[in-house]
This record gives sequence, structure tokens and C-alpha cells, in this order.
Amino acid sequence: MIVTNTETVAGYEIVAICGLVQGNTVRAKHAGRDIDASFKNMVGGELKGYTELLTESRREAMQRMLAQAQQLGANAVVNVRFTTSAVTSGAAELYAYGTAVTVEPSA
Amino acid sequence: MEEDFIFTAIQLLVSVGPLVLCGLIIGRTVEKQHFRRLDAFDAQCQDFLITQLKSFPMSVAGESAPSLVVTEVVIASDYLKSWFAKWRNLFGGELRSFQTLQIRAKREAMHRLIKSAMEQGYNAICNVRIESADVGGGTAQRKTPMAAVIATATAYHAGQDS
Repeated sequence: MIVTNTETVAGYEIVAICGLVQGNTVRAKHAGRDIDASFKNMVGGELKGYTELLTESRREAMQRMLAQAQQLGANAVVNVRFTTSAVTSGAAELYAYGTAVTVEPSA
Repeated sequence: MEEDFIFTAIQLLVSVGPLVLCGLIIGRTVEKQHFRRLDAFDAQCQDFLITQLKSFPMSVAGESAPSLVVTEVVIASDYLKSWFAKWRNLFGGELRSFQTLQIRAKREAMHRLIKSAMEQGYNAICNVRIESADVGGGTAQRKTPMAAVIATATAYHAGQDS
């Protein structure tokens, strides 16, 4: 499956549009990560636990989006966008959406 | 009254002092090292084409189709930065300490985009989008400030011909 965040795919032509596909996940951070974060906030540096949390959420949301695209019989998803939003304090949603299309290599 | 005031001031300095010093020494070092690492990487990828155009500038047919690359970075503020910010809130004006924090997160995200595109054998990225992200809800209301960034781009093959 070809996935891009551009409207077109270089070297390919969009022959059919299957529709909007989306995937989301709401994830909570755990206390261990908070403790690590409170230490890191004294000396600065990357919060690896939170980065991992974002990466996991993004993978999950993308997987759900791609599953939808597959169901529609698409072989590519273009113009993919990601947004995050706070649900409660302690949990955030990561939402991925894009347009499922069928592409063919351009002659 | 005056003695009381001096006592309170000393108490404040003793309780906050070590943490501020910690931020001053370790935080500054961490930041300097981070900027040095980013500068070194920037010098390395001179011929890597980076744009935020929606088209694919100078694209050529490669062995693989264009592909999405996504990276995320969360960087913590240090105690000194947060402390400066509290004082800044009294007088207003630019928060330089947080400005460098944000730029570090954004540059690190870009750095990782390029790295992940390079690892997959691509030599260009287009349509770079950098957004702030929310981790664990209410990032702005947190007592512990941090910069969370999610960056996306499309990796492809670029070349001189065609």
C-alpha cells in the first residue's frame, strides 16, 4: 500500500477515488512515564517515554486507517493528516485520516 | 518586617536554588550538545532535497514508490527554563528559553524525518508538515512544560534528469 501526505503520487496516476478513510486511538500514559517526566523536567532532554507513546498511537491509528482502505479495495492512501486532541487529563487521542484511492503506474 | 522578608527570600533561594543550578548546569549542557548534534547532521545532508511543496520537485522514477514518513519528538523543559518563564509571566515579553526548546523539538523531528527517509533509500522529502501534538491530555496546562511535535513528509527519489 502506497501512503503519502501529498495529493498526488509521483510516477503514478490516480484512476479511482474510494473515499475518506480514518483511524484513531485514545491512549493513556502510565505513572512510570510521569515519574520519568518529572525528573527530566529538572534537567531537560528528550522524554523518551512520551515519544514512544506518540509513536505507538500513531502506528495504531495508521493501521486502522489502512485496514479501512484495504476493505475499500484501494491500493494507496493520499493526503494523510494527523491530529491530536486531549480527551481528559491523562489521555490523548491521535487521529489519522486520508483519502483512499486506486493508483496505476503512469506510462 | 524587613527581617521576615529577608528570611523568606533566603528560604526561597535555598529551596529553589539547587534546582535552578541543576537546570543551569545540566540543562544548558544538554541543550548545547543537542544543538551541536543537530548542526553536525545538517552539514551531513547537504544534497538531501527538503521542501514543503505538495508537488514532487525534481522527481525521477526510483526503485520504490513514494512513501510517507512520520516522526514524533517530545522534549522536556529544564527547571531553569520553567523558572524563567514564571518570571516572564509577570512582565510579559518573549520567552527565549521556551523558544529554543520549541526549535529543538522541531529540528529534531526534521532530523528524524530525513534519517528515516535515508534509511529507506530515498534522497528527497516533500510536503513537510510539522505540528504540535498533545501527549496525555492538556499539554498546555501541565506544570511540567514540554514540547511535543509530530512531523510528516513524503519521501521520494529526486534527480537531475527529467
